[in-house]
Amino acid sequence: MMRSEWRDHDWQLIHTLPQSPSLHMALDDVLVHEVGAGHRPPTLRIWEWASSAVVIGRFQSLRNEVDMEAAQRHGIEVVRRISGGGAMFIEPGNTITYSICAPLSLIKGLSFQQAYACMDEWVIEALATLGIKAWYQPLNDITSAGGKIAGAAQAHRGGAVLHHVTMAYDIDAVKMLDVLRIGREKLSDKGTTSAAKRVDPLRSQTGLPREAVIERMIATFRQRHGLADDVLRAGELARAEALARERFSSQAWLADVA
Amino acid sequence: MHGEYKMPGGKLVVVDLQVRDDRLADVQVSGDFFLEPDSALVAINRALEGQPWNAGETELAAAIEHGLAHDVMMYGLSAQAIAIAVRRALDGDTA
Repeated sequence: MMRSEWRDHDWQLIHTLPQSPSLHMALDDVLVHEVGAGHRPPTLRIWEWASSAVVIGRFQSLRNEVDMEAAQRHGIEVVRRISGGGAMFIEPGNTITYSICAPLSLIKGLSFQQAYACMDEWVIEALATLGIKAWYQPLNDITSAGGKIAGAAQAHRGGAVLHHVTMAYDIDAVKMLDVLRIGREKLSDKGTTSAAKRVDPLRSQTGLPREAVIERMIATFRQRHGLADDVLRAGELARAEALARERFSSQAWLADVA
Repeated sequence: MHGEYKMPGGKLVVVDLQVRDDRLADVQVSGDFFLEPDSALVAINRALEGQPWNAGETELAAAIEHGLAHDVMMYGLSAQAIAIAVRRALDGDTA
């Protein structure tokens, strides 16, 4: 397999109506398979959230990470994604989330660290055009002088890589700390005692509506890499809906790491 | 028993386990690390299951390495980091 460039691919954009957290988990699974199998061109998917969620990483312990009682009290759906990394606290207007499904050739020969940075160069550029000086903070964060802006995670499936990122547009830190259990060890090398302080959301930095930030991101991707507007195919959506129901909503998957 | 270790420049490793008949039991490794393929987590837990309660870090790390297929990829995680988290759980040192 030869290393490919972004411009070698016919990039497609999917940006549709708000969907449930479990359907988002399933769509990542289905689309990365479709791209890996060569059934779908490489795709950028911008997520819109239908409800609040906690999304935990593939290898995180449910009971160690989430206060389920608090999550229920706040009406927050807890789901497990297929990639590693840490828990994310999502409220529909507060988060910008996207997935890139690409052939593995795009990151061929790169270290993990390089592969993460490579997949988000366009975002660093988009933020720069909005006046935010941001950079990649290994292993998997986008950060600025003010603090963390986003966290990324990758998973390899067949011939494809899934790279998805959640960016903090705004944050209700009190609610987040109520639902997520954030241990002392986790914060030990961050030089702060408050997880909330580690995040510097885009709203305060740009003064722009969330939709305007997303628009700029899409425009930057289109300009750098090329991007055609696409929609989910009926078969993709049907498979994702079945997976969302049977797997990503199931207690067995959620508590797979108990 | 519960132990945590934040690997320098890496991610958090958490270990929950029991000791039965002087051996590790019900071992669950978790954390915000990256591991490919994801089934390797089961192999890691299995490699630690049944290890002597007084096994050292080096011995535990070797057991993990031995239990993993050659194509397993870790990011923000190492066998050594898991072994340290196991020892912390056993020694009651979560700091």
